[in-house]
Amino acid sequence: MPSDTVTTLADKTARATPLALARRVRALSDQAIAWLFITPTIVLLLAINIFPLLWTIYLSFTSYRANQPGRPIRWIGTRNYERLLGSEDIWGYMQVTASFVVWTMVIQVLIGLGLALLINRNFKGAGFWTTVILIPMMLSPAVVGTFWTYLYHPQIGIFSYIVNVFAAVGPLDMIGSVDLAMWSIIIVDTWMWTPYIMLLCLAGLRSIPPYLYEAAEIDRAGPLQQFWHITLPRVMPFLMLAVLFRGIENFKMFDMVVELTSGGPGSTTELASINLKREAFEKWRTGYSSAFAVILFVTVFGLANIYVKALNRVKQT
Amino acid sequence: MAEVDLAGVSKRFGDITAVADVSVRIGDAEFVVLLGPTGAGKTTTLRLVAGLEQPDAGSITIAGTDVTRLPPAARDVALVFQQYSLYPHYTVYENLAFPLKAPGRRLSKPEIDRRVRHIAEMLRIEAKLGNRATQLSGGEMQRVSIGRALVREPTIYLMDEPLSSLDAKLREDLRTELKRIQRDLGATILYVTHDQLEAMTMADRIGVLAAGRLVQTGPPRTVYEAPASIYAAQRLGSPQINLLPAGSLATDRPEPPGTATLGIRPEDVRLTGPMGGAGQERPDLPGRVLTVEHLGVETVVLVETAAGPVRALADAHGPVAEDQPVRVAARPGSVLFFAADGRRLAATPASAPAALEEMSDVA
Ligand SMILES: Nc1ncnc2c1ncn2[C@@H]1O[C@H](COP(=O)(O)OP(=O)(O)OP(=O)(O)O)[C@@H](O)[C@H]1O
Ligand SMILES: [Mg+2]
Repeated sequence: MPSDTVTTLADKTARATPLALARRVRALSDQAIAWLFITPTIVLLLAINIFPLLWTIYLSFTSYRANQPGRPIRWIGTRNYERLLGSEDIWGYMQVTASFVVWTMVIQVLIGLGLALLINRNFKGAGFWTTVILIPMMLSPAVVGTFWTYLYHPQIGIFSYIVNVFAAVGPLDMIGSVDLAMWSIIIVDTWMWTPYIMLLCLAGLRSIPPYLYEAAEIDRAGPLQQFWHITLPRVMPFLMLAVLFRGIENFKMFDMVVELTSGGPGSTTELASINLKREAFEKWRTGYSSAFAVILFVTVFGLANIYVKALNRVKQT
Repeated sequence: MAEVDLAGVSKRFGDITAVADVSVRIGDAEFVVLLGPTGAGKTTTLRLVAGLEQPDAGSITIAGTDVTRLPPAARDVALVFQQYSLYPHYTVYENLAFPLKAPGRRLSKPEIDRRVRHIAEMLRIEAKLGNRATQLSGGEMQRVSIGRALVREPTIYLMDEPLSSLDAKLREDLRTELKRIQRDLGATILYVTHDQLEAMTMADRIGVLAAGRLVQTGPPRTVYEAPASIYAAQRLGSPQINLLPAGSLATDRPEPPGTATLGIRPEDVRLTGPMGGAGQERPDLPGRVLTVEHLGVETVVLVETAAGPVRALADAHGPVAEDQPVRVAARPGSVLFFAADGRRLAATPASAPAALEEMSDVA
C-alpha cells in the first residue's frame, strides 16, 4: 500500500540518520568545532606552503642537485650563502629587479591615480572608458609578452613607427638595445597593470564622502588644497595597498619578461627570478638556487613588513 | 560682517519644492533664526546662501554683490553643517586651523594658534585638541564644527541646527555663548532650527518656514503674540497653543467674521473652580483636570473639555488636582482668531465694555 510505503520510508530515514553522530557533534565545545573546521586548511597550508619553505631552507645548506636524485644530499653549511652574497652577479640581478620594481611602481602610481581622478569626474562615457582601460589587465602576461615582441619589432612594429612620428630616430630596437631593454619591460608592465592601480584608486576616490569637499569649499580651500588635504589622505591607503600587491608581483616578475627579453640583452633585464630559474632548472644547482630563493624571500618579506607597518599608520588616520 | 539679501529664491529637487520664493534680508550684525519642522527646507536655504546649491529662481546678494552664480569660496561664508563634516584624518586642532590656512589668508602661525586655542576654550574642547576628529563624541564633534566656523571672520555665519546633539545644560550655555559672540563680534548670523526655544532666546528676528515657504518674519515677541497663521502660532511656545473651535469659549472681544478656530496660549488660560464665571452671558468652558505635570518652573495642567483638550500653565502652589472639575476661561485680550484656512484674523479692539460689545454683536 502506498501509505505504508511512505511510513516505512520515513521510518527508514529516521533510523538511518546518524543520531549518534549528531549527538556527538552537539556534545563538542565551540572551540572543538572551530578546530574541526580549520584543521583541513591548516594541514593543507602546512603541506603546500610551510613544508616546501622549510625544505628549501634545508636544501640551501646542501649541495643537492635535483637532476641527480640518487646522490646523497651533502651538508655544506653556509657555503651557498657565502658564494651568493660574495658574487657580483647577484647584486646586479637585485639591482635590475629593484629598478624594475621602483620604476614600474612610480610610473603606474602617477598614471593610475591620474586616470582615476579623470574617470571619477563622471563624464559621459566614463563607464565605457573604464572598461576599455581595464582590458590589458585581463590578458595573460605570457601572451602580452609575446605580442609586444611584435609591437616592439624595429622594422614592422607599431611602437617604433609611432615614436618615429614624433621624433625621427629611425628603426627603434627596444628589446635588443642595452639602454632601452629595461624600458621595454617597464612600458609593457605599465601598459598592463596601470589599470589595476587605477581601479583601486577609484575605489578610494568613490569612498570619499562629498561633504568633505563641501566643507573644504566653504573653508575656501583651493583645488590643490582639496587634493592635498582630502583626496590624497583618503586615497593613500588604497594606493599603498595597490603598490604592495603590485610591488610583490613585480619583485617575482617572470613570465612576461621571459617572453619579451629573456633577461637580455646581456643581463640588462635579467631579474632575480629569471636568474633563479636558470640556476635551478637549467644548471640544476638546487642547493645554490635554494639559498638564492631564501634570500629573495627574506628580502620581500622584510620589505613587505616594513611597508605594511607604514600602511597601517596611514590607515589609522 | 555684511548684509545678506535673499530675493524670491526657489529651489526644486525633481518634484519636490524644497525652497519656494523665499525673500528675507539679514541685516548687518543681525541674528536671524529660520524656524521650521523637518523637511521645511532649512538646510536647503542655508546651502543656497553658502553656494553649495544653485537656486532655480531668485537672487542672493551678500554685502551688495550679487553672488547667485558665484562659488562658495567667493562668498566667504562660514557654515556649520547639520551632519558635522569634520576632516576625519585630522586632529581637532588641525580641523580648527584648516579654514585659517586657505589660500589668500596670510595669517602667521602664532596668530592661527591663538585663535584656535581661544575658540577651543570657548567651546570647551581644549582638552580634545589633540584628538582625531573620529575619536570624539557627537557633542564634541558638533562643537568642533561650530568652532571651525567661529575661527573665521566671514561675511555671514550660517548655522544648521548646531546645538541639536548637545545635552540640555551645554545647549543652554552655548545658546548664551553664541548670542554673546554675536553681540561682541557684531556678527551676522543665519541660524536654522526646529527648536522654538533656540529661536525665542537668540533671534533678533524669526522666520517661520512651512514646506519651503517663509510664512512670517518678525521679532520673536511679535511672531509669538501675533502669529500670521495657526502654523506659525504652533511653531512657537511650549506647551503648544491651544486650538478650540470658534464659539466654544467666552471671549471678551467679538469673534471677527469668518473665525473658525480660537487660539489660546497655555499661559493665558484661566482655570477657576466649578462655581466661577457664573452669571456671564456665555459661561466658561467646563472641564475636568486630566493630568498635572510639575516641571519645576511651571505646572502644566491638561484639562478635558467638551471642545477638546486644553493645556494651561498653572500656579505651582495652586490647588489644582487631578480629576477635579474646573472652568476654563481666557485672559482678556489674549485669544487669537483664525480663519478656516489658518490665517489669523485681526480682532476688533476691546475698548468697549463687555455688555456694549454684546449689544453691538446683536446689532
Ligand atoms: N539633494 C536633494 N535631492 C532631493 N531632494 C532633496 C535634496 N535635499 C533636500 N531635499 C528635499 O528637500 C526638502 C527640504 O530638505 P531640507 O534638507 O532643506 O530640510 P530641513 O528643513 O533641513 O529638514 P531637517 O530639519 O530634517 O534637517 C525635503 O523634502 C528633502 O527631501
Ligand atoms: Mg536640515
